[in-house]
Amino acid sequence: MGFLAPWFLGGLAALGIPVFVHLLRKHVTTPRPVSSLMFFERGIQSSTRHKRLRYLLLFALRSALVLLVALAFSDPFVRRPATDVNGRLLLIVLDNSFSMRAGTRFADAKQQALTVLAAKPGPQKAQVVALGGQFEILTQPITDKAQLRAALESIQAGDGHANFGELGRSIRAMAETIKTPIDLHLFSDMQRTAMPANFADMVFPPNTKLLLHSIAKGTALPNWTIERVTAPTELSDPKDPKTSRVQAVIAGFGTPRTEKTVSLVVGGKTIATRKVTVPADGHATAEFAPVDVGYGFNRCEVRIEGSDGFPADDASIFVIRRSDPERVLFVHASNDSRSAQYFGAALAATGQASFALQSVIPEQTTDLDPSKYAFVVLSDAAALPSIFEHTLTQYIARGGSVLITLGTNVGRRARIPLWGADVKDVREYALTAGAATISQVDFTHPAVEQEQPTRDNGGWAEAKFFYAATVDPIIHSRVIARLNDDTPLLIDKQVGEGHILLFTSGFDNLTNDLPLHPIFVVFVDKTARYLSHQERLTGSQLVDSFVELRSGAEPVGAIATVEVIDPTGHRPLSLSEARTVQTFQLRRTGFYQVRFANGRDAVIGVNPDRRESDLQAMPVDIQQLWSGNAGEPVQTTTLAADDVKYRRVSLSWYVMLFALAVAVTESVIASGYMGTQREEA
Amino acid sequence: MQRFLDPAVLAGISSLDLLAKTVVDGFVAGLHRSPDFGFSQEFAEYRAYVPGDDLRHVDWNLFARTERCYLKRYRGETNSQVTVLLDASNSMRYTSGPPPKMDYARFVAASILYLAIHNQRDAAGLIVFDDEIREYIRPSRRQGQLSRLFAGLENAEPRARTDFGRPLEHFQALLHRRGIAIVISDFYEDPETIVRTIEPLRFHGNDVVLFHILDPQEIRPEMKGPSILVDLETGKEIEVIPEYTKTTYRAKIQTHIEQLRSRIRAAGMDYHLLVTDQPLDDALREYLSLRKAGN
Repeated sequence: MGFLAPWFLGGLAALGIPVFVHLLRKHVTTPRPVSSLMFFERGIQSSTRHKRLRYLLLFALRSALVLLVALAFSDPFVRRPATDVNGRLLLIVLDNSFSMRAGTRFADAKQQALTVLAAKPGPQKAQVVALGGQFEILTQPITDKAQLRAALESIQAGDGHANFGELGRSIRAMAETIKTPIDLHLFSDMQRTAMPANFADMVFPPNTKLLLHSIAKGTALPNWTIERVTAPTELSDPKDPKTSRVQAVIAGFGTPRTEKTVSLVVGGKTIATRKVTVPADGHATAEFAPVDVGYGFNRCEVRIEGSDGFPADDASIFVIRRSDPERVLFVHASNDSRSAQYFGAALAATGQASFALQSVIPEQTTDLDPSKYAFVVLSDAAALPSIFEHTLTQYIARGGSVLITLGTNVGRRARIPLWGADVKDVREYALTAGAATISQVDFTHPAVEQEQPTRDNGGWAEAKFFYAATVDPIIHSRVIARLNDDTPLLIDKQVGEGHILLFTSGFDNLTNDLPLHPIFVVFVDKTARYLSHQERLTGSQLVDSFVELRSGAEPVGAIATVEVIDPTGHRPLSLSEARTVQTFQLRRTGFYQVRFANGRDAVIGVNPDRRESDLQAMPVDIQQLWSGNAGEPVQTTTLAADDVKYRRVSLSWYVMLFALAVAVTESVIASGYMGTQREEA
Repeated sequence: MQRFLDPAVLAGISSLDLLAKTVVDGFVAGLHRSPDFGFSQEFAEYRAYVPGDDLRHVDWNLFARTERCYLKRYRGETNSQVTVLLDASNSMRYTSGPPPKMDYARFVAASILYLAIHNQRDAAGLIVFDDEIREYIRPSRRQGQLSRLFAGLENAEPRARTDFGRPLEHFQALLHRRGIAIVISDFYEDPETIVRTIEPLRFHGNDVVLFHILDPQEIRPEMKGPSILVDLETGKEIEVIPEYTKTTYRAKIQTHIEQLRSRIRAAGMDYHLLVTDQPLDDALREYLSLRKAGN
């Protein structure tokens, strides 16, 4: 609204009211009776002068009041530089996710951010944030342009996956501490895959004004990428076609149907190439088998030949470790030979890792060194030689793992070796209810892990249990599965750096029929990988994922140090961190060399999140909705810079306050006149 | 008791009879002398008989005891005649707060009349005048006189304007017997004229007392701004500024009062200024002092 607004012009016309009252209207005074005018004299001249003076003051106040109210309706404002906007924070968020490596996106974004920063008025505070795999605050709210510019220029294109939901959450958390309004300038390619599943996660608090600076121009270039690679992490026999093979899934984004050449590179040498036809915007699989690799850690790579819109994502790295099969010590009771057969058969059926089962009875364990085995299985072995039990205890404390099953022998002895607690009772379901089934499974545990378990409890509900020992969960233990009468079936207990997994029934197909079910093979595979710590040595991880360097329990004996060497050859952990840190975040693509606290080594290939390969930007209407400018074009850099320079400061509030003060003064003076008139009456 | 003489308290009493009784009883109770002030057959002294004395006054009992003739003397009955002349002109209507001057004048008149008839057993009369005599009640001690006087006071509503000259002749005709004449007015007139008009009453042997009734605002008027003033008697209007009322007016009214007081006393009359926010006992005390003096 301005000075030509109808309300303001109408208000100006109202100025005539006090003019009429004071100048045109005849003043009426109530005569005051007296007994006699004998001693009074007329005093007109001085009286009139006095009246005029005082009434002119009242007239001026009333005129000012009407004028101020009319002025307030016109919404007056002043155009002030942004330096006077009460410390409005300029928040520069630069997307440095992996997709920003495409073309000149990152350089363009950084240049635009520097332009906005240069347009910042000197006294205004600003803050620089990098949005890659996480919300990384690089500066505090400061006014120093040089420091802000240095922080902005220090941002390099990263390998993480940007998430606008994370950005929204971080800004909401920031707004709780920073009460000043925020002008958030986001420089990003506005990738569609950066949007969270719930749009509400992206919403900013009311005091935040979002100004989008979309770097992506036009339609995204065609891009092919290695979406997924399936390869063995451990390989013992390169000639075994069942295990020695690599499968790569090639995906196209905005691509036509075309034939691509895919290569398998091991140790820098291309050992195989495949030609696959990738449908338009589709997927194709390339398979390499067998894979001939040398002993030790082999740094492998699947690469798409030929250029596309985003060359950086044309390769996927992973690690295959070739070694002799790891041995598993299977200690079983002398009267139980079936358990070893079932367990060994299941272990041999797994394709990802290679283990060789060594089956012994307790009496043969006296001279055995458990540290030479990937893990140890105690199958219904109620009585162990004390020297072997002691050796096992030390083995577990240093990071070894043991799987204990409780068959019918344990029911006679009650004591469970290594566990630290006895069998409380045994349940023989065959004598009572017929059979028990598994009712609860903790699918988050690595031994039974399933991302989307089926309705039959991931296959576990099919197994019938006729016998189970009752063991109460103890400290540092975690119940993984329970029977339908709430009896714990599978319990994990951490001891030092190692684990003890207790299965309260047997593997002999007598106490239950689990070994006959397909889920048994999966269970044995995952359990073997868990107990041998191979799940931590997976050859391929995503950027920003974490690797567990040591177990969470209190260390036993001397504190072991861990070691991490990043893809550039540097050691990111300090000496003190190497003694204490439990997890490490893999922040870059490439091969990390890791030595865990239990002494094992690993090489991990780290790939960027493949969602970053889809370069398509989010729809413009979504951007407008997000920035709160639905129906208007997304603001450009120029507009944003102008908005930083100047700001409208409304004066209506101050005008109304002044009008209130005038009204109070007018009331006081007018009531003085009225008081005189009351006396006269 | 003093609060019963407070005009603001008296203004709440509607009956003049009750008001006068309240005032007088309150006033008398405050005195340290008996209300029976020696007007009865009270023994005074013995005096030796001399030839020519009336034998009816000889105290024969004393003669029988002493064989000497003594006359028994009594304090003589000194019943007097009180006439209240009440100004009922429009100027008496003025008030700045209860009571109005007219009511205050009624209180004074009623109290004096009650005191005269009920306590002093004097004959009391009333003349209500403005520019003429509006009512005349002959002085008397008869039964019902007090009621008639109060009725006369009740009917004395202010009207017209004061003119001392015209009713003067009637005053002289009506007040032919010596006594006490009490004039109650606001005396908005030239002091010379007032004295010249009332002085003849004195020539007849009357004790004349002038009660000058004024409102506090008439002595010290307060104005917060220029005002138009209207004369209650003439209806004339003039515009007056506060500065004048604070300075010149106050000097003039004081001069008027002083001239009035000096001129009246010089003429052998008594003058009392009664302000309507003051108690009534001044007026009553003045009446009794005159009564004690032998009237």
